[in-house]
Amino acid sequence: MTDTDIKTAIDADIDLDAEINAEIDNDAKSDLDAEMSNDVKTDVDQTAKTDIVYAYAVLRRTPEAARAVANLRGVAGEPIRLLEFGDDAPDGTPDPDDTPERRPPALAAVVGPVPAADFDEASLKAGLEDLGWLEATARAHHAVVAALTGRGIAVLPLRLVTVYRDEDRVRQTLEARRDDFLPLLDRVTGHVELGVKIYAAPDTESSDPEPTKAKGLGVGRAYLAGRRRRKRSTEDAWQAATDTAARLRELAGTLAVDHVAFHPQRGELAGSVPGPNVSNDAYLVPEDRVEDFRTRVLAAAEGLPGVHVEVTGPWAPYSFSLPAEPVS
Amino acid sequence: MPPPPPPSDTRAAAHRLSTDPDTVERDLVKLVLTVVELLRQLMERQALHRVDNNDLTEDQEERIGLTLMLLHDRMQELCAHHDLRLEDLNLDLGPLGTLLPPAD
Repeated sequence: MTDTDIKTAIDADIDLDAEINAEIDNDAKSDLDAEMSNDVKTDVDQTAKTDIVYAYAVLRRTPEAARAVANLRGVAGEPIRLLEFGDDAPDGTPDPDDTPERRPPALAAVVGPVPAADFDEASLKAGLEDLGWLEATARAHHAVVAALTGRGIAVLPLRLVTVYRDEDRVRQTLEARRDDFLPLLDRVTGHVELGVKIYAAPDTESSDPEPTKAKGLGVGRAYLAGRRRRKRSTEDAWQAATDTAARLRELAGTLAVDHVAFHPQRGELAGSVPGPNVSNDAYLVPEDRVEDFRTRVLAAAEGLPGVHVEVTGPWAPYSFSLPAEPVS
Repeated sequence: MPPPPPPSDTRAAAHRLSTDPDTVERDLVKLVLTVVELLRQLMERQALHRVDNNDLTEDQEERIGLTLMLLHDRMQELCAHHDLRLEDLNLDLGPLGTLLPPAD
């Protein structure tokens, strides 16, 4: 897997500050806080040695899924297993009126035990600001998910560093959110995610003539005129790129079954890019239309001045494993 | 498309203002220069706006332009003196983006 892939995986999976922290807030923080207050607070050593549960993905409980995770290793090198939840799962409570036909498909979570000391709130806060740690974790997380999707198993990948205090918490989540997970699983079955990023690539050939070449102007006015030209050309390039982005989004929307718009990338996560990122979208595309999608989107962008378009994937449906939320 | 350069461990969070004892002076200089550059860019925008609206006489335009140009040159000298680039002068405001627009 190339660095570009990983970068995209990181991008698709997380939004550094907002999403991961939200996830930590939702899961780990409350769990860890609860743990801290339940246990004897001074017994730090014991807490540090305890394992907590890292959840990678939610999927349907099938023998094939169980085989697929058999030899996988996770973000802490830990063995991966299926945590089953359903009617005949170890702690499932069977309904006396239940018949096999009426049972909804059983869910399972792909989990691994990780050291609590490495994934508690403080460690995660430090880790998430360390791009090296983040990259290694994202690679390992992605490797687990990719091993499953590589076998054609439909999964809902969970966000990076989704951790639970213990396996019961995972089961509770599966139970509580079963009605969310099942339709989402149905929707991603047979589909993959593709990323489309559009960059404004200002035309460098039309660079300003030397300001002093302007006729009849003093140095100061020539400078202002040069600045104005440069500002305009930057604005024009941005405008052209956003117009193109809107057109491509419309085209891609007709080829995909769903679409999520992310905030354009800035700063170091964007890496070495041809220009500012104008749009950063994910599309859920039927598996058999991936090449069609790629070809048509790239063809539509070809020859358009001032923009650069990247199509990445196919990915596991990282952006489509939670109920749709409005873009803020 | 050429692949991006391999990620290195030395990359810290973008434009983080870290105040280690060793680097505090340089970081302070960077912060001050960033604020000065922000003001310079704001003045430049205001000047362009007023030129567009024909608010200024040619003489005023000339003087403002010259002032802005000298400020720009001086900023570059100051940056060079402190081993910074103009592009380094920025602050990451998280979801709001960066304080200054991308360098052009």
